[in-house]
Amino acid sequence: MNVHDTLFWFFSIAMLLSGVLVIANRNPVNSAMCLVLLFVFMAGLFLLLDAIFLAVIQILVYAGAVMVLFLFVLMLLDIKASERRRILWLGLIGGLAVAGAFVWELAMILGKPLKPLASADKPFHAGLTDVVKPLFTKYMLPFEVTALLLLVAMVGVVLLSKKELR
Amino acid sequence: MDATYLDIARGLSAEIVLVLAALFALALDLGWLRREGGRERTRAVGVLTIVGLILAAIPVCQMLGNGSQRLLGGTLVVDDLTLLFKLLLIILTALTALISLEYDVGRHVGEYFATMLFGAVGMMLLVATEELITIFVALELTSLCLYILTAFHKSWLRSQEAALKYFMFGAISSAFLLFGLSLVFGVTGTTNIRELMTGSLTPLLGVGLLMILIGFGFKVAVVPFHLWAPDAYEGAPTPVAAYIATGSKVASFFVLTKVLLLGFAGGAGSALWGKFASGWAMLLAVVAVLSMVLGNCAAIVQRNVKRLLAYSSIAHAGYIFIGLIAAGLTGATSVMFYIIVYALTNLGAFGVVAALSARAGGEELTHFNGMAKRAPLLSLLMLIFVLSLAGVPPLGGFFGKFYLFAAAVGQDARHFGLLWLVVVGILMSAVSLYYYLIVLKHMYVEAAADDSRIETPTYLNAALGLVALAVILLGVFPQPTLTLLNSLLSRVL
Amino acid sequence: MTSAITLNHYLVVSGLLFALGILGVIVRRNALVIFMALEMNLNAANLALIAFSKFNQKLDGQVFVFFIIAIAAAEVAVGLAIIVALFRRKQTVSVSELTSLRL
Repeated sequence: MNVHDTLFWFFSIAMLLSGVLVIANRNPVNSAMCLVLLFVFMAGLFLLLDAIFLAVIQILVYAGAVMVLFLFVLMLLDIKASERRRILWLGLIGGLAVAGAFVWELAMILGKPLKPLASADKPFHAGLTDVVKPLFTKYMLPFEVTALLLLVAMVGVVLLSKKELR
Repeated sequence: MDATYLDIARGLSAEIVLVLAALFALALDLGWLRREGGRERTRAVGVLTIVGLILAAIPVCQMLGNGSQRLLGGTLVVDDLTLLFKLLLIILTALTALISLEYDVGRHVGEYFATMLFGAVGMMLLVATEELITIFVALELTSLCLYILTAFHKSWLRSQEAALKYFMFGAISSAFLLFGLSLVFGVTGTTNIRELMTGSLTPLLGVGLLMILIGFGFKVAVVPFHLWAPDAYEGAPTPVAAYIATGSKVASFFVLTKVLLLGFAGGAGSALWGKFASGWAMLLAVVAVLSMVLGNCAAIVQRNVKRLLAYSSIAHAGYIFIGLIAAGLTGATSVMFYIIVYALTNLGAFGVVAALSARAGGEELTHFNGMAKRAPLLSLLMLIFVLSLAGVPPLGGFFGKFYLFAAAVGQDARHFGLLWLVVVGILMSAVSLYYYLIVLKHMYVEAAADDSRIETPTYLNAALGLVALAVILLGVFPQPTLTLLNSLLSRVL
Repeated sequence: MTSAITLNHYLVVSGLLFALGILGVIVRRNALVIFMALEMNLNAANLALIAFSKFNQKLDGQVFVFFIIAIAAAEVAVGLAIIVALFRRKQTVSVSELTSLRL
């Protein structure tokens, strides 16, 4: 096993474990912390896939901005850990069934090796300019629409979370 | 591919006008109108919104008939079909804004109308694109606007709850859609829907397609992905419910039709009786039957008009799926025709509910008792809309349904292939007549507790009257619209 | 030495994470934790896209991920704002207590 493979196993197992902890934790703050870990390990996987720019963005936006947002809301609302763990048996069984069916389906399909459209061993160059250039040429329209979407989100968030002044 | 920035700007001129109008609405409300009362502000900003929409309609009309253009590798398509639906979306948004003028939208008038305009931009882009990334971004823009609008009654707990439910289901659907899109991109190596299916439906592509269908199933609210719809409709301000039920449905169905008929035409399989083959047609058939049966049956027991309309719209989504299964040019034409009729009819019905409910005291069926005496004109209009929804002859709804079923029967007519779906559809239409008649019974037969007249503004009566006229005309003279849609679609498919 | 890790490995990891996210959405009652599970779903899609991007030698997947990250941030902000607005009216974030609308 070379370094790349070792790192893949480490990152993916650690990531899935933190994923389990996110949904198993009783205290939402702990869940949020596990989610940060998940984002960081995910960024590691991105690096293994030569997506350096996106790995950095992942850390900046998810582990930075989104998590701070979650923690702010958790602090603001002062949510205590749920006192009793009320397990919804119906929900648990249903959830496991859906997730299980999905995994089984995927396992069936991915049992055979997929043939990628291009050779995997070729070095893949995805530097900052390569990723960002399409944003100003082919994907100009969605890029502009994303700007609009951020404006809508900003207006909406200010509107919804503001206390009504009398 | 040699499009200049000017070409792109021209293709997007309607959207640009709407964005400017939205920004202006925000500025107007925040600046000059700060000190005015709620009513004056609603009027001023609402009128500005409608003016913006009319201005946006002008370039759309000018571009009609100028041939088709595919800009930026398919992310922006300008042809007569998309322009026609952009025009429809502009009309629907303008009517929603008109209904909102008399509705109490709370203190944040500017944000309300601006968000509505941004939503319209999202829907128009959704109609105008043939590229998966743009579809996703536009769909998210539309959805975000609708979540925000649903939560607009800040002092009303039901509105907030409805928004949370709507948001959760919407976010789950986005996740499914996204995972499906990622698989489809991975297998095909392209994000352009015209290049999606070059070969056969491989298993992984099949899973991707399935997840895309689940995602869209949530967005258009079909059983079993419908749970959010009744709550969102009931809790949202009535004009917003109208907008969710019409504008977003039109855009979602349009793009779903394109994805299925352009992108995955080869993966349809078969839903013909006795000749079932796996593919999306089979899945859609199951969902269509479930939606028609559950939607219509659940509507019977509803006591709230908005919930009733929500379940009825679930059933209508089931009917539309029959047209999608029929596929081909006739199927697509019938779907497009039905979407237009359905959107106008539903908007009219919600408009009447919005106009009357505030003064009738609520949206329960009993609040509409004796409406025929209290507001004769609007009751008459409601009669037209409800009968059209039920599919009673000379109205648009009847002909739309007829054409959907005819397209389905036309498929493999000798072996009665899709007849089983049509039989279910007709049976369920008969069931639906029952609850539509209940609404009319409350309005026309039951005696009102309070006999005072309800005065509604003339412009609202006139606008809803025009919508009713359109619904009647689409039923009496369907041919011009059908021929138009048919010729436009034959150029696209 | 060539790597033994193929596209399938990444897709399996991504699929498992997606299933985990769905499980979280269905099982948990706390709206905030449900949002976190939804973030996991989006991340699963991101991983699949980047893996496809690498193994297909196409950059479109990475561009898609760029958009998804931006949109996910906006979406979660709106979702949290709705929770805050709801919390002001009713002191709960548990979705099983949303009962003023009949299902």
